[in-house]
Amino acid sequence: MNIFWHELKQYRRSTIVWVLSLCFIVLFFLSLFPVFSKDVETVRKIFESYPVAVRDALNVQIDIFFTLNGFYLFIFTYILLTGSIQAANLGVGIISKEAAGKTFDFLLTKPITRTQLITRKIAAALTLLIVTNIVYLAAAVFTANTVSHGDFEMNIFILISLTLILVQLMFFTIGLFLSAVLPKIKSVVTVSLPLVFAFFIIGMLDSIFGNKVRYLTPFKFYDPAYIIKNGTIEFKFLLIEAIFIVIVTVAVYYLFNKKDISAAD
Amino acid sequence: MNVIETKKLTKYYGNARGIIDVTMSIEEGEIFGFIGPNGAGKSTTIRTLLGLIYPTSGSATIFGKDIIEAGPEIRQEIGYLPSEVFYYDDMKVIDLLNYSASFYKKNPQVINKRIGELADLLDLELRKKIDDLSYGNKKKVGIVQGLLHKPKLIILDEPTGGLDPLIQQKFFSLLKEENEKGASVLFSSHILSEVQRLCDRVAIIKEGKIIRVQKISELLENNYKRFKLDTATKVDKKFFANIKGIKDLSISDRSVNFLYRGQINDITQKIANLDLNNILIEDPNLEEIFLHYYQ
Amino acid sequence: MNVFIRELKVNRYPLLAWSVGVVLLIYSGMLKFAGYQSSGQSINQILDQLPKSVQAILGLNVGIDLSSAKGFYAILFFYIILVATIHSSLLGAGIISKEERDRTSEFLFVKPIPRAKVLTAKLLAAFCNILVLNLVTLVSSVCLVAIYNKGASATHDIILLMAGMFFLQLIFLSLGAAIAGISIKPKGSASIASAILLFTFLLSIFIDFYSKLENLKYLTPFKYFDAKSVLTSGKLDPFYLVLSAIIAVVLVATTYLFYTKRDLDV
Repeated sequence: MNIFWHELKQYRRSTIVWVLSLCFIVLFFLSLFPVFSKDVETVRKIFESYPVAVRDALNVQIDIFFTLNGFYLFIFTYILLTGSIQAANLGVGIISKEAAGKTFDFLLTKPITRTQLITRKIAAALTLLIVTNIVYLAAAVFTANTVSHGDFEMNIFILISLTLILVQLMFFTIGLFLSAVLPKIKSVVTVSLPLVFAFFIIGMLDSIFGNKVRYLTPFKFYDPAYIIKNGTIEFKFLLIEAIFIVIVTVAVYYLFNKKDISAAD
Repeated sequence: MNVIETKKLTKYYGNARGIIDVTMSIEEGEIFGFIGPNGAGKSTTIRTLLGLIYPTSGSATIFGKDIIEAGPEIRQEIGYLPSEVFYYDDMKVIDLLNYSASFYKKNPQVINKRIGELADLLDLELRKKIDDLSYGNKKKVGIVQGLLHKPKLIILDEPTGGLDPLIQQKFFSLLKEENEKGASVLFSSHILSEVQRLCDRVAIIKEGKIIRVQKISELLENNYKRFKLDTATKVDKKFFANIKGIKDLSISDRSVNFLYRGQINDITQKIANLDLNNILIEDPNLEEIFLHYYQ
Repeated sequence: MNVFIRELKVNRYPLLAWSVGVVLLIYSGMLKFAGYQSSGQSINQILDQLPKSVQAILGLNVGIDLSSAKGFYAILFFYIILVATIHSSLLGAGIISKEERDRTSEFLFVKPIPRAKVLTAKLLAAFCNILVLNLVTLVSSVCLVAIYNKGASATHDIILLMAGMFFLQLIFLSLGAAIAGISIKPKGSASIASAILLFTFLLSIFIDFYSKLENLKYLTPFKYFDAKSVLTSGKLDPFYLVLSAIIAVVLVATTYLFYTKRDLDV
């Protein structure tokens, strides 16, 4: 348990920074909603004059498009981006920094198994992510409420916001895997940033794979548009994510138990 | 000429003291020892001399030139072995040594030959990746890297840590050889027996300040000799009553132990009167002398 | 210089990886365009009528003709720049902080070489790296766009965009280096540089959403040479050229000033 508290303490400052950043982002972006909704009427008329085929090509539904949730849909990618960097940093760094700081020898010669060590670290990281999400949710709901004068579907909003932790869990797991597999990580951010942005760009480009891109990038697993339309997430992806996390986590435990730990000989 | 001269060299890390008013000189051709407890300021002094950190106040010269202004120039003739060695993981030993050599203005062929000699002497495999080496072998790389350009001043921070006794011997012979050829050596260490063996003079530093600078020979001379006598019968305390220079006298049934400082003839004449089975007269080692400073 | 050559050597595989990444990015983007070409025409007229904020939300940089390869490339360019700037800031911070981070400073800086010279060698090597990345992007862009381009040649525009990108690379490179140069403990410099990058990136998106914030453009390099402005005006805005140069020069000067005068993190 000491390791658990130790990790919480170590990451306290950076977690506060991440939480504040997420809150600021949602605050600033959502505050644009009033500006956006001013344009609503003009756009609504234009859109209604288009043939259905064209509207579909733009993948837009008139009704949802101009609600707060519809607006949230578009800015949420950037929330996901920021949150994913936080999660990837945690995943890549939480174990590998012991190697970097040569403190592995210190930890592993204590009466503790490697499995216990990893578990406690993961527990700490999960706690940090959960706390982040709770604070974020509160801030987001508050902002949404203020900005739309209470006129929005809270359940859908919360559901969309909850996909943040889901995506973060994916990146955290991938980060953990990378830290188990890569030989020596001297700088966490050199691994986590390209990782997250690579998936981000894949998602944004909506590339040649057409709809299949959804399976390739955590950013597209949970489509806010679908949530708005159907009121739930697609459980198919939740399942995929769960399976992915389980398999990779088991792999991580295995790799770390097998790995030779060497510091200065 | 003094090869190193410091004038009230002071370094504070924020509010924490590093070194305070360190003033000392090291003569050309000396082997100079630098000892003191952990955290006393040995590494701080050395790093300041080398330009890795800058003094808060005070100044120093090496080869007569200011350490800050003429830094790079001075370092042409300095070889340094840090207490903890870290090198570039992607390099092989020979790569690092060649890279090191490329910074010096000396004849490359001479340097290459020197690298070969040193590597042979220390039993260092040149083709191995540095990352694969043990700590002791990495230290060997450090030694070769510090000596390959035949510097006039050799600075060592706790050099023998990690080296096996055989290599330590070779290393000391190496240092002595270089010293005989004219190199000066500054050598910080905890291992007092080494300091005792190699150094001409030694400075003792504690809590950032230099407490003492003295010749090793003087330190040993002016100190107490230990006397251990095995006697046939118990000696009376009064026997030693009027002898000056006796300390820590302890008498038991068949032995007498004490420390003595003074004229040797006086004490030997005195104890010649005793019925002795055995006698042992020892010089204290530096540990006994210095431990007192470490406290 | 030995330090210069060594830095080039150490960075060649990472540079290769980044270059491959960029080429893949452009390739997959243009493939998407090929599929898009058929339905491209009518959409433009529709999209042009939408208010700016809506266009921004839909991810379309306003005023661009999506049916031409040039226009499509302009959208792609946004992401190419993201990749290039991440590379530059991580490189800048990393190349300066690595000696202290990996504890090799007690080797390198005890050598008879002034710190300024070490710095120059490293900055030059980093400069070569971003130049190579830029050229790779340039060449692959020109080639790949030409393959799919049915209209007028886009080469001149691409060169213009690449020039703009180079300035951005310079800015972020010197930013990363400055942060590492100034910090007493440079280990966290890559994170700080990335944070600034992320912030300016989000700011540029934010400005896209809310046109009244146009005057905040100075704060984010992503808006100095954005595709729309460059392509519509046919040149790089001289004001931002000067601003970029000033920023880069100031940051590099700061790096020199602090790196040579501060204690090394030993």
